[in-house]
Amino acid sequence: MNRPTALIADDEEGMREQLRTRLRDAWPALDIVAEAANGIEAVALAGQHQPDIVFLDIRMPGLSGIEAARLLFRRCHLVFVTAYDQYAIEAFEQGALDYLMKPVGGERLKTTCARLQQLVGRQPTDIERQLQALLAQPGRPPAAPAAPDYLRWIQAVVGANLRMISTREVLYFQADEKYTRVQTGQSEVLIRKPLKELADELDPDEFWRIHRSTLVRVDAIEGITRDLRGRQMLKVRNHPLLLEVSRGHAGRFQQM
Amino acid sequence: MKKSRLTAAGYSNAKGALDIVREIGEITATLWWRFFDWLAQVEWRKLVIIWLLVMIFGMTPFGHPEQTGAFIVLSLGLKVLAGGKRRAELEARDATTHADEEGLERRLVEARMAALQAQVEPHFLFNTLALIGQLIETDPPQAARIHQNLIDYLRATLPQMRARGAGTLGRQIEMSRAYLAIMQARMRARLAVSIDVPDEMQSATFPVMMLQILIENAIKHGLEPKIAGGRIDIRASVDNQVLQVDVLDDGIGFNVHAGDGLGLANVRERLRILYGNRAQLVIEAPLTGGTRASIRLPYAPDIFAGGAP
Repeated sequence: MNRPTALIADDEEGMREQLRTRLRDAWPALDIVAEAANGIEAVALAGQHQPDIVFLDIRMPGLSGIEAARLLFRRCHLVFVTAYDQYAIEAFEQGALDYLMKPVGGERLKTTCARLQQLVGRQPTDIERQLQALLAQPGRPPAAPAAPDYLRWIQAVVGANLRMISTREVLYFQADEKYTRVQTGQSEVLIRKPLKELADELDPDEFWRIHRSTLVRVDAIEGITRDLRGRQMLKVRNHPLLLEVSRGHAGRFQQM
Repeated sequence: MKKSRLTAAGYSNAKGALDIVREIGEITATLWWRFFDWLAQVEWRKLVIIWLLVMIFGMTPFGHPEQTGAFIVLSLGLKVLAGGKRRAELEARDATTHADEEGLERRLVEARMAALQAQVEPHFLFNTLALIGQLIETDPPQAARIHQNLIDYLRATLPQMRARGAGTLGRQIEMSRAYLAIMQARMRARLAVSIDVPDEMQSATFPVMMLQILIENAIKHGLEPKIAGGRIDIRASVDNQVLQVDVLDDGIGFNVHAGDGLGLANVRERLRILYGNRAQLVIEAPLTGGTRASIRLPYAPDIFAGGAP
């Protein structure tokens, strides 16, 4: 009978070494055919070597362990190896998938190996739904966030540099002919992006349109007054200028 | 009998009248004080314009020239004699309310910052412990070094363990060195580090945990997700009494859709509270790729540091 084969994927060399040594003790017959340092390499090497089992770290560059698993789960048995990942562990505990905690070793590894010895040669279980659920977890850095991607940073050319201005710093945006003026507490810069385009990309709960040519940061609004001509004027925190609220957008401030 | 009823009615009438008089008195007093406050605070230019208008009105057939004159003289006298004092009083009261609010806000932010600073990333901690476990078997001297670095890092990170005088650039660099040494042990060839901070700037005042937040961001968002890894450069310079500390990485660069996280918002907020408009956090995307994060704040070297142990 052929020896069972395995692949180890972890971006940290020390961790690969640890798992390899421990596996040699726990399951001497297992043949480690390849080691990968990132998710992309893991998928490529798995295609090349066709191992029975793949040990996958979750946080890896290129493709995360979970993303790599989606490409591999029909072809091999998967075991996740992670130092700390509360979401993943919760999800695994409910499913057939196995997981190991770093540092890997002892009885837990033996149990995993015993389970794997039974499974080798059989068709891997379909874990697509579990992986989907893992990818959809909020706050998981490798996965795409479920919330729409609003613009959070404004890129502005300042001198010879491209500066990144957090939208949290911006007090308001104002259209200025072809440009848009970006006013922060400390500086004012012009960007080429038209106000209309910005309005579509920004979080509508973060910035309100108060005038055809003005978007104001909701948190920065300090108060609203009427000037002598009866126009509503908006006062922004830490800034002397008053911004006009046009009639069309005044509805928002009726209750204030 | 009839008479007494009349008396009672008269009495209740008198009481009603008294109430009305009292109310009128109160309203007059309120109006008077409102007028007085207004007079104390109004600009001289506006007051003169009002006098002119009143004078013009006084000259029309409807006006009463004597009363107009009396109003002008009275308001002038009041403004000159009592206006300054009353205005100072009002301004002081305003300032006190404002100061109370600011003090409250500052305490609130401090509490929130303390909570934020106490967070050592569990991922980092568990991965480092796993590495130490591995090294104990394969390379015990290296295990001891990483272990020591972890202790130094935790000592500087956990606020309740933070030593006094931690708020200098030198101390902040030291703790970041411990962190970077751990990350280098984990990422091996994928992480190169260079630190260039002139000796005379080591004693400069620098708020705790800010440099560390920039470095952790550079690694977590710039270099760890990059397959080939990269380098991180930390530099300090002084120009025009402004200390600038740069953290430069050649990682995957900035994602304009990613929220700026608690870390950067926390740095910005603390700089604002500590220095107002005199300090700045600047994030730039250099043409060469990667990200540069810089903190600029007033340069305050400790002039006694040279003689101290």
